[in-house]
Amino acid sequence: MMFKVDRRLLQNVDWLLLATALALVALSLVTLWSLSPGRHGSGVVWRQLSWLGLGLLALVAVAGVDYRTLARMSPAFYVAGLALLLSLYVFGRTVSGARRWLPLGPVTLQPAELFKLIFIVTLAWALTARWANPRARATLAAALGLLVVPFVLVVRQPDLGTALVLLPVFFALLFGAGVRLRELGWLGLVGLAGTPLAWLMLRDYQRERLLVFLDPFRDPLGSAYNVIQSKIAIGSGQLLGKGIAGATQSRLAFLPERHTDFIFAVFAEMWGFVGALLLLVVYAFLILRGFEIAGAAREPLGRLLALGVTALLGAQTLINMGMVMGLLPIVGIPLPLMSYGGSSLVVTLMALGLLLSVRMRQSL
Amino acid sequence: MALRRFGGGGPRRDPFARRLLFLTVGMLAGFLVLLGQLWYLQVLEGARLRDLSERNRIRVRPAAAPRGILFDRNGLALVDNRPAFTLSLIPREMDNRDAVLARLSVLLRIPLGELQESLARVPPDSFMPVRMRRGLTMEEVAKVEEWKLELPGVVVEVEPQRVYPSPRLGAHLLGYVREASEEQVRQGRHRRGDMAGQSGLERLLDEYLHGRDGGEEIEVDATGRPVRVVRRQEPRPGAHVVTTLDRRIQEVVERAMGNHPGAVVVLDARSGDILALSSSPAFELDYFTGPLGREAWLRLVRDPQAPLLNRAIQSQYAPGSVFKIVVAAAALQEATITPFDRLRCAPTFQLGRRTFKNWDDTDWGELDLYHAMVRSCNTYFYQLGLKVGLEPIALYARAFGLGTPTGIALAGEKAGLVPAPRSRSRAGDTVNVSIGQGPLLVTPLQVARMMGAVATGGILWKPRLVQRVEAADGRPLYSEPSQMNGYVDLSPAVWAFLQRSLWGVVNDGGTGAAARLPGLDVAGKTGTAQLITNSDARRGQDHAWFAGYAPAQDPQVVVVVLVERGGRGGQAAAPIARQILQGIFLERVAAAALGG
Repeated sequence: MMFKVDRRLLQNVDWLLLATALALVALSLVTLWSLSPGRHGSGVVWRQLSWLGLGLLALVAVAGVDYRTLARMSPAFYVAGLALLLSLYVFGRTVSGARRWLPLGPVTLQPAELFKLIFIVTLAWALTARWANPRARATLAAALGLLVVPFVLVVRQPDLGTALVLLPVFFALLFGAGVRLRELGWLGLVGLAGTPLAWLMLRDYQRERLLVFLDPFRDPLGSAYNVIQSKIAIGSGQLLGKGIAGATQSRLAFLPERHTDFIFAVFAEMWGFVGALLLLVVYAFLILRGFEIAGAAREPLGRLLALGVTALLGAQTLINMGMVMGLLPIVGIPLPLMSYGGSSLVVTLMALGLLLSVRMRQSL
Repeated sequence: MALRRFGGGGPRRDPFARRLLFLTVGMLAGFLVLLGQLWYLQVLEGARLRDLSERNRIRVRPAAAPRGILFDRNGLALVDNRPAFTLSLIPREMDNRDAVLARLSVLLRIPLGELQESLARVPPDSFMPVRMRRGLTMEEVAKVEEWKLELPGVVVEVEPQRVYPSPRLGAHLLGYVREASEEQVRQGRHRRGDMAGQSGLERLLDEYLHGRDGGEEIEVDATGRPVRVVRRQEPRPGAHVVTTLDRRIQEVVERAMGNHPGAVVVLDARSGDILALSSSPAFELDYFTGPLGREAWLRLVRDPQAPLLNRAIQSQYAPGSVFKIVVAAAALQEATITPFDRLRCAPTFQLGRRTFKNWDDTDWGELDLYHAMVRSCNTYFYQLGLKVGLEPIALYARAFGLGTPTGIALAGEKAGLVPAPRSRSRAGDTVNVSIGQGPLLVTPLQVARMMGAVATGGILWKPRLVQRVEAADGRPLYSEPSQMNGYVDLSPAVWAFLQRSLWGVVNDGGTGAAARLPGLDVAGKTGTAQLITNSDARRGQDHAWFAGYAPAQDPQVVVVVLVERGGRGGQAAAPIARQILQGIFLERVAAAALGG
């Protein structure tokens, strides 16, 4: 089915969306290279480039398949995804205290990244299936069930960031599906009530990060170090930035996780307010385009898929930038398309593939 | 049903479109919040955060310039430098000053007040390290390094520090080096914490010796590892000074003086160069280099033996019988007497109702001037003094350079005292002055210069301490030729007489016989300076002098020895002079002893 490509599908490919995404990846590669030019730095760039290639293949594969087919298969994906998450407890590789990575030959996979996508497709399917009624409590309960199980598994990895990202996606999908606001409000209250329980579930360092967010100078050399250094990096870029050579905060490794979660701080240090503003505009454009695709879709499943994917990208972007700028606690969420990391890039491109798929088939 | 729920129509009719619009607006609002924070961080707070990022990456590592080295005339080092550890604080890097100071205070047992006091004087955002304590032990350095992470802004620097071949050698002459005082900092020549010469040559030549400190601005990464040097200024080492001293002679002198309080001056008779200059008791030069508490300082300053005083130039003594040279010179030059005239040398001399004593009870009968000098007969000189008169004596004393500073380059030199030329003279004063007592005070250096005039037939040298100053790269910066700054105009016959009689004092059964050396003709004059009238020299109440030169026929060195409360000059000072001369002319004396 992938091979008999409908000519009309190709006509409806959203090249602008694809170009925007690729432009962001290009910025990411330049930034990664500038962090440590030379042999060591180019290693990072080459690896990310190969992930890009893989991601583009996945994008084409996802876009090529009718999303309705994918949705029908989603229960199977969901179960497989849960199995992957569970398998971490057995095969998971522990990196800095967290079992998030599954070794697959020469590379490692972050099942939680992939699961975000599975979650969107499954939830969209569950909300639009023939038997579903978003205004009925039963559907809501089912949706909640779909969320809670993977949420707990991911938090326990521990990967608070990825788990938390599921929440806005969840609410956006319910909201888009037409769930009554009163019901959403109840769900929110239940969530709040569950907070103390969640607190107990958190690891010590996660609690520390949340406390540090409330009081950054609680431990300036320890937990709060990251956010202080990140703010210094961003602020010191001032209006026009320090350029590649002058970005001392990033290049001299004062900034932690500068290849991954804090890459926005690197960019902001190098290119200043003007550069960061442009980047914000590009991301905003990408997300607006996603919503536009959702709005243009003619049937519920496509709408919800586009909405969910866009909500995921938007939430990740806002939360990542918010935490890097010191507005939100540091929870470890990569910046889509910019942060170094294979799983994140491939999954983001797959999500975009889903978006493209909806757009390609909107008039079918 | 589902289709209807999600179905088309305008946004107003279509709940999905409305909800989508709501989400879109919410998302955009999120971006606006981010934009606001970006503006706040990069534009409003940008300058401050830029400053913080500079502070993150730049460390200042100062490098003190090594002080110039002082050499003796033969190229031997009199002082040198060695690396030493200094504890410094960089105020700007101390985020929590009180906590850091408290930790440091406990760790190194430095009173907290002392730390706070020295930081109180500098601006809190200063990049320049403030030196806290010098001469850290290896143990203390290890402690600081171990607690490095807890002590931001605390650095241990390696600085060159003075090291002395022996702690007391030439202490007064070389002078000690210590952190610049508040006063010196205010004068602007020194930065706080700089080492500055505080006395002696170190102070005199501080401008040359000091050099210029350098330093490095180093870029470091988050772990404090240096990445590269941003700016570097090499320290410029201080200039080297070649003095006129002879380290060997200085050592001989100090060994000969031992623990006696007093002073010794050894001059080169042919140039006025100071070969050795010592004052005892001396202080230990490196006593001042490290931390010195208030108590220790007060103990040193209040020591009744006054070890900080340079007795060779700062203490004034009655010259005693050494002054008879001046009286004899005046008498002969003014033709008051001839070498052939005789006067009575009785045990006592009666002036009106007052009785003046000789220093022994023997009646030596009538003596000529030569024998009166050799025996140092007081009663003879009472009569001679009265014949010459106080005014001519004072005039000749001045001609011999007494009563004015010698012009040595050291600070604090005293002028001595000679009765004013037109003072109303009383006979009693004249009698006292003619044997070097009464209103007459001299420094050992003045006496040495006077003996130099006798040895050379009239030349008064300006005592020279510094030959030249050379930059570390050998470039000459300063040089000082030998200079005479006075001339005693006496007839050659008078000089010949004086020289012959001084030879006789040592070699012809005179009071200076203890200075006699086989193989070396020593000429000189003893003196016993009374502290109080009719004091008893045998009870050690008098200052003992010996002033002489050698070899008598071809004078090379002038030696002056003063022993405070040593007793008689012939017994206390002359043997020391002998030991010194033996050391200086070691080969000659040894050859004579071996050759028989």
